[in-house]
Amino acid sequence: MSVLGWPVSQVVARVLILLGPVVGLVAAVVADVPPPGWVAALVVALAIGWAFMPESLLGTLCLALVLAWWGVADLVGLPAEALVAALGLLVAHVAGIVAGYGPPEMALDGPTARLWLTRGALVFAAAPVVWLFAVALNDQPEPPGVWIAAMVAVVVGAVVAAAAFGLPEEPAREG
Amino acid sequence: MTQWRATAGLSRALIVAGSGVGGAVLLGEPVGLVLVTPLLFCGAMGLAARPTRTPAATSDLDHVSLHEGQGTTSRLQLTDAEDVEQVTRAVAEAAYVATRPAEGRISRLLAHGVPDLEISPRRWGRRVLGQERVALTTRWAGYRWGPATLPGLQMQVLPAPSAYTSRAETPQPKGLVGAHRSARPGSGTEFAGIREFQPGDRLRRINWRISSRTRRLHATTTRAEEDAGILLVIDAVADHGRSGGVDGAASSLDLTVRAAAAMAEHAVRRGDRIALRVIGGSGRQLRFGSGWVHLRRLLLALSAIQSGSEGHRALATHARVPLRATEGTTVVLLTPMLTEAIATVAASTARRGLPTLVIDTLPANAEPALPDDTDPELADLAWRMRKIEREQVLAGLSGLGCPVVAWRGPGTLDEVLHRLARRAQLPQVRLR
Repeated sequence: MSVLGWPVSQVVARVLILLGPVVGLVAAVVADVPPPGWVAALVVALAIGWAFMPESLLGTLCLALVLAWWGVADLVGLPAEALVAALGLLVAHVAGIVAGYGPPEMALDGPTARLWLTRGALVFAAAPVVWLFAVALNDQPEPPGVWIAAMVAVVVGAVVAAAAFGLPEEPAREG
Repeated sequence: MTQWRATAGLSRALIVAGSGVGGAVLLGEPVGLVLVTPLLFCGAMGLAARPTRTPAATSDLDHVSLHEGQGTTSRLQLTDAEDVEQVTRAVAEAAYVATRPAEGRISRLLAHGVPDLEISPRRWGRRVLGQERVALTTRWAGYRWGPATLPGLQMQVLPAPSAYTSRAETPQPKGLVGAHRSARPGSGTEFAGIREFQPGDRLRRINWRISSRTRRLHATTTRAEEDAGILLVIDAVADHGRSGGVDGAASSLDLTVRAAAAMAEHAVRRGDRIALRVIGGSGRQLRFGSGWVHLRRLLLALSAIQSGSEGHRALATHARVPLRATEGTTVVLLTPMLTEAIATVAASTARRGLPTLVIDTLPANAEPALPDDTDPELADLAWRMRKIEREQVLAGLSGLGCPVVAWRGPGTLDEVLHRLARRAQLPQVRLR
């Protein structure tokens, strides 16, 4: 089964690439910091280009633009919608990786997709932890170097956790 | 030499995560950190899986010689692939080669085995698979090796073994031992007559009933059974019509080659000797021989045929080379009969007294291949005139005693061979 000559799995991956950054902006709208029209249009345009060329620099620009909008937006506190935006960016990034494994006419491998689903869930689990940590420290006096120390701790923890749980599954042995 | 390179995914994760972390630290806004934390993990894991060995990849086919419609497997061999997590293969499309998965592209986790591609040639001939591109990716899609280009593999595709049987005897068998009823007496099983006993006759041949009635010893005679010689003459001057492969429409050369293969296999099964002569294209000749090894040689020669685009003079010279068909040989000419030189060959063998049979292999819906700038009305008119000329040539050959039949598979030649065999019993005047 195919859509416009592409297998359905490829179409699904590319639709996720397109929707991820859009979800990031919709979350900003819900958080009451709606982006101007030109930002939304630019993000959608970049996302469409990225969906057709998952290996291109358009993906980086698209994610960076969503990130930049959240960075410059006049936020009140740290809204939970930021987690939705983080999920959108991650889904688009992972879909871009999976779609970039081969040409668009190639159907995606089921075990590969499941592996990246597991990995995505694992790495996304860190976002609520960081969000809770940031909410807890909000309005607290910041000791010098706390952000850098926190980042180092997060990265080390991520590497250890992903190395332990994120390896590809072994196929079931016959006989 | 192909090297590992960072993937677009790794670059994207690191750039976006770096921007988010930098912005968060500089602006004191933790939202950037929340957004990029998952990407930071992905990037860090990709970096941690940095490869240390350079792999190598080669591909091979399980079978390099097979019949059209059969299938084989293209296997990829990887060495030093300990760092590899994902293997992607993409084979470029090649004419008359089907692949599974369709489009010839597959990607799979190496932990589940190196992905294989199933290959099935759909038409006889020498087939070259399209170039293959192989990409290997490390864990967390951090680094990619390739895509490396592997050269296209070659395979020799023999014509499909089609069902062909014939119960007709060969017109003039002149061999040693075989399955055909000969015109001369011998130790076969077919009744020839009863005559007076002669020295040398076997005792078991004595016909006691006639002997007692006539009071002289009489013996029953039988016809010898001999093998026959069949010379297949292939017209490879041009290929008319469109070929859709083994399960699609057949061009004139498809019909020719498949019919020749079927007749050769049938002849070998009956113990006959068979030879091949290709006019046009490679101009290949194969001497008389019998047995399965000879059949294999003949099928390989058939699969190597390519339609030629020789000039008329070269073709006429080519066609004048003697066929080396001796007495007792049946000449089977497989042709769409659109070339004058081929008609000359058929006429000259028929006038030599050799049983000659023309198998018409022009597809019913054949149309000439034309350059783009040709006037279609003019081309249609020329094609119709050509076909009228062809009908006249075929009628002329029939008048010379050279039957023309269209290839229909099993039993195609039975009736005409019966007629040729009956005619072969009659006294003839031959030109030498």
